[in-house]
Amino acid sequence: MKLKLTVLSLVLLGGVSYGLYQLSYEVQALEREYAALNENIVKNREAIRILKAEWTYQNRPDVLQALAGKYLPLLLIAPYQVASVAEVPYPAVDPEKFSVPVPQYNPHRNYTPVVPARPVPNGPVQLATFTRGGAVQ
Amino acid sequence: MSELTWLTKSPRPRITLTNPLSHTHSDDRHMALRLEGSAKETLEQGRNRLVIALVVFAFCFVILSGRLVGLAISGIGADEAVATSGDVSPPVALGEGKRADIRDRNGVLLATTLATASLFAEPKNVIDPKEAAVKLATVLDDMSEAAILSRLSSARNFVWLKRNLTPTQQYRVNALGIPGLHFRTEEKRFYPMGSLVSHVLGFTDVDNRGIAGVEKYFDGQLAGSEGGPAQELMLSIDVRIQHALRDEITRHMSVFRAIGGAGMVMDVKSGEILGLVSLPDFDPNRPNDFSGDAKFNRITLGVYEMGSTFKTFTTAMALDAGTVGLADGYDATEPIRKAGFRIRDDHPKKRWLSVPEIFMYSSNIGAAKMAEDVGTKHQKAFLAKLGLLDKPSLEVPEVGAPILPPRWNSLETMTISFGHGLSVSPLQLSAGISAMVNGGKYINPTVVLREEGIAKPVRDVISPKTSDIIRRLMRLVVEKGTGGRAAAEGYVVGGKTGTAEKAVDGRYKRDALIASFVGAFPMDDPRYVVFAMLDEPKGNASTHGFRSAGWTAAPIISRLISRIGPILSVAPVNEASEELQKALFIPINSKEKNLASF
Repeated sequence: MKLKLTVLSLVLLGGVSYGLYQLSYEVQALEREYAALNENIVKNREAIRILKAEWTYQNRPDVLQALAGKYLPLLLIAPYQVASVAEVPYPAVDPEKFSVPVPQYNPHRNYTPVVPARPVPNGPVQLATFTRGGAVQ
Repeated sequence: MSELTWLTKSPRPRITLTNPLSHTHSDDRHMALRLEGSAKETLEQGRNRLVIALVVFAFCFVILSGRLVGLAISGIGADEAVATSGDVSPPVALGEGKRADIRDRNGVLLATTLATASLFAEPKNVIDPKEAAVKLATVLDDMSEAAILSRLSSARNFVWLKRNLTPTQQYRVNALGIPGLHFRTEEKRFYPMGSLVSHVLGFTDVDNRGIAGVEKYFDGQLAGSEGGPAQELMLSIDVRIQHALRDEITRHMSVFRAIGGAGMVMDVKSGEILGLVSLPDFDPNRPNDFSGDAKFNRITLGVYEMGSTFKTFTTAMALDAGTVGLADGYDATEPIRKAGFRIRDDHPKKRWLSVPEIFMYSSNIGAAKMAEDVGTKHQKAFLAKLGLLDKPSLEVPEVGAPILPPRWNSLETMTISFGHGLSVSPLQLSAGISAMVNGGKYINPTVVLREEGIAKPVRDVISPKTSDIIRRLMRLVVEKGTGGRAAAEGYVVGGKTGTAEKAVDGRYKRDALIASFVGAFPMDDPRYVVFAMLDEPKGNASTHGFRSAGWTAAPIISRLISRIGPILSVAPVNEASEELQKALFIPINSKEKNLASF
């Protein structure tokens, strides 16, 4: 009886400590992952900051004005070019003379749009100041 | 069983050793030898030592196993730190420790803080300074080989080579593979718009402390104090309007070869400043490369004798006080002589002028007589109500106080009536004009976005009725008077020109003018006040050599309003429509003989 109890308690002790160690390692692995994720988020946020600054820099009004002047035949807006929606004349259509044929069935009933899979980045965003080959851009 | 029995082959008697520690007695049939005395003591001692060692080892193992269990539960070292920090702080603190961004009213980034790499060297660890310098000079364009070499061969342990490298430069330095060079991540304030919003933003020093503009005024909020985290700042500036303003003033500055220029656009209902430009300006990314003149804010810090634009205030004051009616007028045939000064007109008509005529032809004589009738005391009180006698409040540290005349008697009353003798900043003038046209309420100007878009008026300056007359008079100036070139078709511009001679060393300089125009649009329900100023413009062929504001500053307003009207969603209207003509009609009551019939 005494022996059985001892064996049982030893087995129990072994089992519990195995479980405990297993759990502990699992938690440690998760914590490592968590830290890595946090680090990635920080890196990505920094990259986003830089990209936003870059975007604003590239969209400076004087740059846009120079580009518009180069590629668009636009001048100052004259007053007659501005109108409200109410001022736009509605096209008069005579339903007797001119009608649009209505389809018999809904052509879109069995249509499922193809949604392209989103590419998922596998790591922090790397700012493209140089190419993978090593050449500086 | 407790007896140790030694059997010997010798015929010696059998000896039975009794365990001295057990007190069981052996049977008496055998000869027994009992150990007594020193032998017994030795054995006892050995046994005691064994027990002590056992206890020590048991203790150690208990500690070890305890620690093992403890480690299994809590984890070790670095992981422990991560686990606890993760529990306390939010997952990732946003922009932790970074100076906050500044944005314009539409959320366009005006100032941000970026992490950059700074290059430093440990000269002791640089193996071949000469070769390193040659290599580095190819990457760091703005540093000479000799300068790098002198730093690399210094005796110190630490030398900065270059602060705030670009990512490309950092990559190239890494690619050189020179030992003894290291990077340190630093924060750098970055202004993506360059010099566009320079004077409002101001700039920061190397340690990212604001030392000018809103960067200084809101330093605590942007840097984040003990009280709370850094908070973003949203300005009332609109970069599109700011750009249009800067573009037009730059263009006209070069056309009229002016040494400086300034302009602003202000919302008359909220007091928000949508654009504020002072030229020449500077790039806040590298403020040290610019002179003090470029950093001087002509709108808020500069005070000038604004000239005829003050007649708006004089007319409003006289009409509001009731000393003169719209149908009345003054004789402007002869210049006024007073205390050795002669007050004369720039555009002399040499006849009796009605109040609208005095305003539209910008008659100094008429304005002076108007102010004389109102009186010095009343004029002082009126200008004080308009905020022209005190330092205005604005969220930048560079705000100039007006320069008041040393004496303020009837002569000064006369000269101030047409804008001489009292120097105010363009900011004060624009705030005053917006009170003139918005129904008579003075509103503090601001460069920070107002949440509701409407500000609480500080005080009433003139009655809404007088304000309505002033609107019509300002429209009259553009329609028929000196400000014809400020007209922008469809936007019903009104305003007043102002040409003042610059006072240099206490004397007026005839050839140096400050040409300004302050206007508002659309005049039937003014929403924005616009101001433009040129410092020392010169006439050219297109202006027939004239340099006055009507020729030089007014065209800026025309172009500017045509550009910003659509941005501000002001719908252009038909200016010739009967409805509008009626709304802005003002009887001129001219006594001029109609010579056209001859």
